[in-house]
Amino acid sequence: MHAGASPSRALTAGLLVIVGLSACGTSPPDAATLLKQSSQRMLGLKGFHFQMQVSGFSGTGEPVQSAQGDAHPPNLQARVNLKEGDILLEVAVIFASGNIYLKSFTGGWQQLTADQVAQFFDARALFDPQTGLFAAMRDTTSISRGNSEKVDGHDTFPVDGQLTGARVHELLTLIRDQGAYRATYWIESPGNDLWRARLTGNLFEASQPASITFDFSNHDHPVSVTPPPLG
Amino acid sequence: MITPFRSPRLRSVNRPVLLALTGAGLFLASLDAYVVVTALLPMLKSVNIAVNRPEQATPIITGFLLGYLAVMPIAGGLSDRVGRLRLFAACLALFAFGSFLTATAPSLSQLVTGRVLQGAGGGALVPAVLALAADLYPAGDRSPVLGAVSALQEIGSVLGPLWGGLVTASSFGWTWIFWINIPVAAVIFWALWPEIRAGGEERRPARLDWLGAALATAGLTLLTLALYAANPEQSPVGEGFFWQAPLALICFVLFFWHEGRTSNPLINVRRFRDSSFTGSALTNAVAGAGLMVALVYIPVLANAVFSMNASGSALLLFRLMLGIPIGALAGGFLAQRLHSYRLVAALGLVLAAIGFLLLSGWNEGSLRAHLLGPFSVADGELVLTGLGLGIEIAPVSAALLDAVGEAERGAGASFLIVMRLIGMLVGFSLVAGFSLWEFHQATAHLLPPLPGLNPNFASQYAIYLIKVRQAIFDEYHLIFRATAIALFIGAVLAAATLRPLPRPRWR
Repeated sequence: MHAGASPSRALTAGLLVIVGLSACGTSPPDAATLLKQSSQRMLGLKGFHFQMQVSGFSGTGEPVQSAQGDAHPPNLQARVNLKEGDILLEVAVIFASGNIYLKSFTGGWQQLTADQVAQFFDARALFDPQTGLFAAMRDTTSISRGNSEKVDGHDTFPVDGQLTGARVHELLTLIRDQGAYRATYWIESPGNDLWRARLTGNLFEASQPASITFDFSNHDHPVSVTPPPLG
Repeated sequence: MITPFRSPRLRSVNRPVLLALTGAGLFLASLDAYVVVTALLPMLKSVNIAVNRPEQATPIITGFLLGYLAVMPIAGGLSDRVGRLRLFAACLALFAFGSFLTATAPSLSQLVTGRVLQGAGGGALVPAVLALAADLYPAGDRSPVLGAVSALQEIGSVLGPLWGGLVTASSFGWTWIFWINIPVAAVIFWALWPEIRAGGEERRPARLDWLGAALATAGLTLLTLALYAANPEQSPVGEGFFWQAPLALICFVLFFWHEGRTSNPLINVRRFRDSSFTGSALTNAVAGAGLMVALVYIPVLANAVFSMNASGSALLLFRLMLGIPIGALAGGFLAQRLHSYRLVAALGLVLAAIGFLLLSGWNEGSLRAHLLGPFSVADGELVLTGLGLGIEIAPVSAALLDAVGEAERGAGASFLIVMRLIGMLVGFSLVAGFSLWEFHQATAHLLPPLPGLNPNFASQYAIYLIKVRQAIFDEYHLIFRATAIALFIGAVLAAATLRPLPRPRWR
């Protein structure tokens, strides 16, 4: 009897191949390697899209509620939702050629000083190569890697750790510079693209839990930002 | 088109209970037709949209109207096929699901999807309940019942903005406008379940004009997209206007061509040769547009300029809404008394136009100007506008229904609602885009003062806010004047086209 082509044998052979391949497969990188490689990857991108959302905060004194835009640090353009009392107000900001521009509810673009922009949202600091979020990935301590998770359809590994308040304050001055905050990064592997990052803790007030979530996309899509016409 | 038929089983049930339950569902859905107008700002905020991007609220309003319009033409025939109660239950479930999506929306896209489903579910309830009422009662006893069902729907839509404003201003917040629909719909569903499960309803194979409905819906959707100014700083219409508008026109041409050929049309297109029919249909659309402008812009004006909260703006709008049913009764009475549709319809539209002209003169002190007792001049102007919008309803509706004749009266009644909704949809889309575009043009050079650069920042900022407020007022003046002009044109149209009342004939 010729049994070489029987379905049960073919199935067994297939299973063996799968099991063999799985056994030979590489295990995912450890948390420190993921953070280091992702930090390098994000700092070297020609551009990316970002969304930032502040949540869990209901008090006053925290003007930025959310922001989204495209960046090729230090240049970026973003639409920012500011919290003015009980309402949200959208402004557009451009950081280009070392200058800062703002477009508010009415009127055209006007140029801002660094002091003025610091009063509500200095988006440059978020992605600064030395003090920004991607640099902060390397400064994260007590790190551990979780199981694979899908973020926006991408296979990522969450890496959990801690950042000091002083360090986080550098990337967003609105955040209290005391204590430590939890930082979680969702990093695609292979590829090392950072798809999501979240800071949690009593970020703005000592007794009020809050979080800031960053979502990234369009990794390495070239972003070119030019100064807008004034007036 | 609704095709009434009698079911022995339905006649054996407790008719008032059945009608009350389905009427409650209809009332619930009609409450939600305009409920969002007093809750728009909190709704936008909860999906993280800033107050200076009001154009993003447009689809929350137009989405419901589009959903409503999409199902209206086929719902009557569909209820013939599947049974009134089954269709009612399915649409109530759809409405409840839309409410759930709206209440839980984390994003604008889910909010709009929820509203479209609410509109689709709610819109189909109208012909389903009207047809059920016609099934339950014989021809001689039917009028008061149909009147009561129609009244429920009208009262619901009048109370909607007030309900929305009160819930939004309460500690529950705006989401409860929609959460509350789910248990109420569930109770109605539960109470009707034995009847639905018994399946005793007579069904008959009604031929549905799916192609006609699809062409009309496609045309309206394309037109709404074409008119949606997503970026009003750049353009008063949508970015795809130049391909969407011609495509919409092609859909409408195909719709009319198809309707002229099919054996079971949604609307008998030959009727459009009758100037009284066409005139009353167009007048109805103009009045719908006027109502929509009032519904949307009075609460927003109250909130943005008079700093009223949701309940305050709802109460301000309620003054106008109160005038509508009073005007509707008066219009019916006057048309009979004066034996003229055209005169009374034109009178109502002229009064509404004058009302809008008076509203267009509002300034910061307008709500304080004293008229009589506790009433302000603004109260009087709002009631006058509502009265005018109410007075035209009866003569315009009657003129259209007279024009179609008895055999097409059901289709005619549906067409009246459809034309009013089309007026609302198109009128509001146009006004929203052009008014925001105009606002951006007017404030293109109004730069806000920045702290740090100006030593007198506080005073400069106060002056800036006054200028912004004035620009908002100017925008509203423009909107209300444009609406007044449209209503005057509607009055001329009504005066020129509506036929006199026919002599009463007793059968």
